[in-house]
Amino acid sequence: MSFLTFAWDWLKSPQQWQGPDGIPSRVLQHLAYSGLSLLIATLIAVPLGLLIGHYGRGGFAVVNVTNIWRAIPTLGLLILVVVLLGLGVLAWLIPLVALAIPPILVNTYEGVAGVDPELKDAARGMGMTSWQVLWKVEVPVAVPLIMLGLRTGAIFVVATATIAAEIGVGGLGRYIIDGLASNNYGEVAGGAAVIVVLALLIQLVFTGLRRLVVPTGLRLQARSSR
Amino acid sequence: MITFDGVTKRYPDGTVAVDSLNLDIPDGKIMVLVGPSGCGKTTTLRMINRLVEPSAGRVLLDGRDVADANPSRLRRGIGYVIQQTGLFPHRTVEDNIATVPMLTGRKKADARARARELMELVGLDPPTMARRYPHQLSGGQQQRVGVARALAADPPVLLMDEPFSAVDPIVRAALQDELIGLQARLHKTVVLVTHDVEEAIKVGDLVAVFRPGGRLAQVDSPERLLGAPADDYVRDFVGFDRGIRRLSFFRAVSLDLATDSVLPAATTLADAITVGKRAGEPWLLVVGGDRKPLGWAAVADLESGPPDATLAGADLAPVGHTFRPEADSLRAALDATLLSRTERAVGVDDGGQVLGTTSYERLRDAIRAAEEAADRAADPVGGGR
Ligand SMILES: Nc1ncnc2c1ncn2[C@@H]1O[C@H](COP(=O)(O)OP(=O)(O)OP(=O)(O)O)[C@@H](O)[C@H]1O
Ligand SMILES: [Mg+2]
Repeated sequence: MSFLTFAWDWLKSPQQWQGPDGIPSRVLQHLAYSGLSLLIATLIAVPLGLLIGHYGRGGFAVVNVTNIWRAIPTLGLLILVVVLLGLGVLAWLIPLVALAIPPILVNTYEGVAGVDPELKDAARGMGMTSWQVLWKVEVPVAVPLIMLGLRTGAIFVVATATIAAEIGVGGLGRYIIDGLASNNYGEVAGGAAVIVVLALLIQLVFTGLRRLVVPTGLRLQARSSR
Repeated sequence: MITFDGVTKRYPDGTVAVDSLNLDIPDGKIMVLVGPSGCGKTTTLRMINRLVEPSAGRVLLDGRDVADANPSRLRRGIGYVIQQTGLFPHRTVEDNIATVPMLTGRKKADARARARELMELVGLDPPTMARRYPHQLSGGQQQRVGVARALAADPPVLLMDEPFSAVDPIVRAALQDELIGLQARLHKTVVLVTHDVEEAIKVGDLVAVFRPGGRLAQVDSPERLLGAPADDYVRDFVGFDRGIRRLSFFRAVSLDLATDSVLPAATTLADAITVGKRAGEPWLLVVGGDRKPLGWAAVADLESGPPDATLAGADLAPVGHTFRPEADSLRAALDATLLSRTERAVGVDDGGQVLGTTSYERLRDAIRAAEEAADRAADPVGGGR
């Protein structure tokens, strides 16, 4: 039997769809962990990226530090946090936040730093303050890249939030852990399939969000230059 | 009035971009800064709105040192146009133009109404263009938006850094004409940077020629720049064809037009041949009863026709180019003459009636006389500032 048929057999059984261990409540748990991690990562990385991009100092460091950062294995970090801080909310939150920060930070930074210098010059020359240049020109023009960073971060987090299960917290990762422990390949495959579908849905949600927040002029411009 | 008082700009890497500049830019005039690449034109311009701070000396705007002004407030009172337009891609044309009024706290509807006024002023149709985005406009239209945006808060001073160099020559010429037209109505103090001497001479009331190293070579009216270059550098810079370009400033009214070779169509061929021989003219201009030109008759050809026929039935060469001595320059008369097959151009009045015809000899005499008169007028004043 293939992965898909294992998964399908497991998924079509009605008992997977109800109760505290059912797919709906696990999905909600999973989304809650992911959402909180993404929110915190955004609150840290977006302002930092905006400021570094705007002032043009430390951009080199951003790229290098995040490259090193990305090399840290998330599972390793999880174990380290557990060792240092014990089990608890921080144990799964810190690795997930750490995972989401690099793509958001780098894209935000590059979005702002990459704004055409002529645009910034024109904005300044017309009498915008430094702050107005940031909010009225750099941020709107950088929105497409910022959104790309958020989407990448979100998908990383959703795919990796399975590690929360490693430390006995819920989420979709439980199916994989429990399935492996009890040699129930149907559960492993089914859980993995649900995670994949969720990641695809997140992708869709961000595509929709992008349409909402990217300024019309930029969207039309991108389309016409394609 | 903008005054540069001993201004030097040395960038942190040691480059001296502008060296001890003294320059007065009078109100209501177009001052063009021209010179080869890297000679400090942009730096000079940007010291006026404090995008660059001088290392020494002062820049005064109406007698006040700009260094004492709040930079943002200063800049909102100075229009700024740059080469690649710097239009905001996320804002519509009208919102781009409304930028400065909105910054200064005008209501959105108010600022947009103003934006539409300015679109009309620069020749953009508000109903079709106002809601477009910059990328949906041609290069020339984008430049017009850039100019409208700079004018939106009605600043007395307008700074333009190579505003027309990114568009093709035909559009550039049109934009230059529009700027001249706008200026005739608005009387701004315009400082325009270009490396194109032709443009400097065309749009400038005054032209400041820079030399490499950020020093001023000459500040003068275009006429005097062409007529009395201060030194070999300026002479070379304004070009070997400066003599011809200078003719744009001499009016063609000084040209002595030939009238005896202009004949009505009713003249007989025999009479026409006599006139042509007496005047020593190989071509005769034939005019209708309304004195409008019909074409040129070649004296040599007339001899083969029946002597009692009239010019009305003769084979005529096309009239060629005409010019209006009252309104046009010697340059226009010269061009018209060079471009006509008969090596003669027809001078007409406003009603299109013939005043007379040119020839190379007549042009040469007029050009000599005009140059001598201009040099006499220029000399007692002495060169340069
Ligand atoms: N920010 C800067 N830092 C260091 N050097 C600079 C800077 N900006 C300009 N320069 C140098 O100063 C000199 C004058 O530059 P500027 O841009 O004023 O010249 P320009 O006359 O406008 O030239 P172009 O016609 O090429 O635009 C050049 O040698 C240039 O390399
Ligand atoms: Mg320049």
